[in-house]
Amino acid sequence: MAMDKKIFTTPILKSNPITVLVLGICSSLAVTVKLEPALVMAVSVTIVTGLSSFLISLIRKTIPNRIRIIVQLVVVAMFVILIQQILKAYAYDVSKQLSVYVGLIITNCIIMGRIEAFGLNEKPLPSLVDGLANGLGYGLILVIVAFIRELFGSGTLLGIQVIPQSFYEAGYMNNGLFIMPPMALILIGCFIWIQRIFQKEESK
Amino acid sequence: MNTNKNSYTIIYATILVVVVAALLAIVSLGLKDRQQENIQVEKQMNILGSANLGKDVKNVSDKNSYIKEEFSKYVKEAFVINANGEVIAKDSTDIVKSKAFGIEPSAQFDIMRKIEQGNTSYRDKLELPIFICYTPEGEKLIILSCYGSGLWGPIWGFISLKDDFQTISGALFDHASETPGLGGEIVTDKFRSQFIGKIVMQDNNIVPIKIVKGGIKDAKHEVDALSGATITSVAVQTMIENWLKVYEPFLEKQK
Amino acid sequence: METISLFVKSVFVDNMIFAYFLGMCSFLAVSKNVKTSAGLGIAVIFVLGITLPINYLLNKYILTPGALIWLSPSLADIDLSFLSFIIFIAVIASFTQLVEMIVEKFSPSLYSSLGIFLPLIAVNCAILGASLFMQEKAFATLGEATVYGLGSGFGWFIAIVSIAAIREKITYSNVPKALQGLGITFIISGLMAIAFMSFMGIKF
Repeated sequence: MAMDKKIFTTPILKSNPITVLVLGICSSLAVTVKLEPALVMAVSVTIVTGLSSFLISLIRKTIPNRIRIIVQLVVVAMFVILIQQILKAYAYDVSKQLSVYVGLIITNCIIMGRIEAFGLNEKPLPSLVDGLANGLGYGLILVIVAFIRELFGSGTLLGIQVIPQSFYEAGYMNNGLFIMPPMALILIGCFIWIQRIFQKEESK
Repeated sequence: MNTNKNSYTIIYATILVVVVAALLAIVSLGLKDRQQENIQVEKQMNILGSANLGKDVKNVSDKNSYIKEEFSKYVKEAFVINANGEVIAKDSTDIVKSKAFGIEPSAQFDIMRKIEQGNTSYRDKLELPIFICYTPEGEKLIILSCYGSGLWGPIWGFISLKDDFQTISGALFDHASETPGLGGEIVTDKFRSQFIGKIVMQDNNIVPIKIVKGGIKDAKHEVDALSGATITSVAVQTMIENWLKVYEPFLEKQK
Repeated sequence: METISLFVKSVFVDNMIFAYFLGMCSFLAVSKNVKTSAGLGIAVIFVLGITLPINYLLNKYILTPGALIWLSPSLADIDLSFLSFIIFIAVIASFTQLVEMIVEKFSPSLYSSLGIFLPLIAVNCAILGASLFMQEKAFATLGEATVYGLGSGFGWFIAIVSIAAIREKITYSNVPKALQGLGITFIISGLMAIAFMSFMGIKF
């Protein structure tokens, strides 16, 4: 059990897939303008990473090596389509906001990366935990970026105004730059910076 | 077991594909009705929104049935007109199943573009939806559809006219992928409410609404542009102008 | 004229990296020197230029609702659009695998310079992303789709080559220790993205 716990916590903090391993930034920064789609994206990625790692690990001994990548892609794509269909049916507004980015979960390097590095060699249960944890670590960054961008960019959180009206009357203005795509990149850059400062102290 | 044999690989791939495809087909079929309903409800909500109705949608628990009920209560007629402004289909029973409701503005937009490029044979194919809505105050509103391209992707909306066929009573816009917080602001009440009371027809001619920066001078025909979203603002202006032009023959006839 | 406009727009305005963050993983991982990044860039242009038309045809004649009507009028009601993710990714993955095999067989020298990038491309979000955007933008002709594919690829090429050039230079600069490497790369990409924003609204 102690082993399982380590599998779970390491990816979230120490080897966070985004800031340390630099995986899976591609498909998802564009959904961090607002908190709500970022949360849905984080949950979706976590589910897909967990389940596909689990399933691949379950059938790992039967997969022919030559078509390994394609088999993995098919499994991942299957889960992603399931999520997309469910979102369309039960959370239509969010699925509209995420648009093509749901599909891009397929090529999210975290998922393929975890399957290759963990799911293909380990037993199903640890693979599931590893997948979920990596998804969560990834989702954490996504949500933090979205939190900052929505708060400063639009003055709202989850669509509810949090910066009081009196601030605006006193001359405060939303920072439009936070809404633009470049800010997400700069924010992540700063996260990595902060994290490296702390990690260096740890290793000393 | 030798997993590297050709025959094994092929059989494995086949089984995998069949299993996955079957599973997905089942799920997709099972959820299809709900998805279709969501799409229809969205359209009904947009039509109601342009007539400033259906505002309680955020406070009700069952959004879909609320919108459907409101829609059937207020939207009573639907027409389809052609490029000459003649009514070619009329429905006043179940609007959601009517021909007008089923028209995809995007397809009509493609036809309009072809006509613009000089392909006049497409004029006969043009079909424009019109919805008639009776507000709780007993006012009759004429709701027109519109569709165009914004900065990143399509934008669309509905405009409701008072029954003098020239004064805007309300407007609703939506978009696929405009920049949130900038161009995406076209969906907000703040932007939409500016259109109320603007005049689109004068002396039997279309007067396009201008979306201007830095203060409006002509209160009848101008609205304020969104700050930081010039292109989306211009796109909305062009969209309204394009669609008013195709609706013009019909609007003239009503005078 | 419209074709040129579409090309320029997909290179600069809808830039895969700076506007949509697609293909970030390989963008960050392989941009350490100009030569390899140019190799990867060319491979991306090549794969995009070929898979996009293929996926366009598949989308038009198989996947969109009612697309099977050319087979028999009775199939007009069939909607296979839920399969699009899986079909697109299968086309991309099998195509890259195919190209890899062909190149390996007929031109070992090209393989040694390009070959290692091909497997990477299968999971490059920019490739799948372009196909999904193609589906959303609903291009009217095969030509438009091809131009869009080539343009997006070229935009990606420009982005990765220019960041690689900057990274080569930056090794001589005095960057705070914790910010070195990834952190500064993110921030530079953000600044470049701001620069690319000035292309917005270009029309011919």
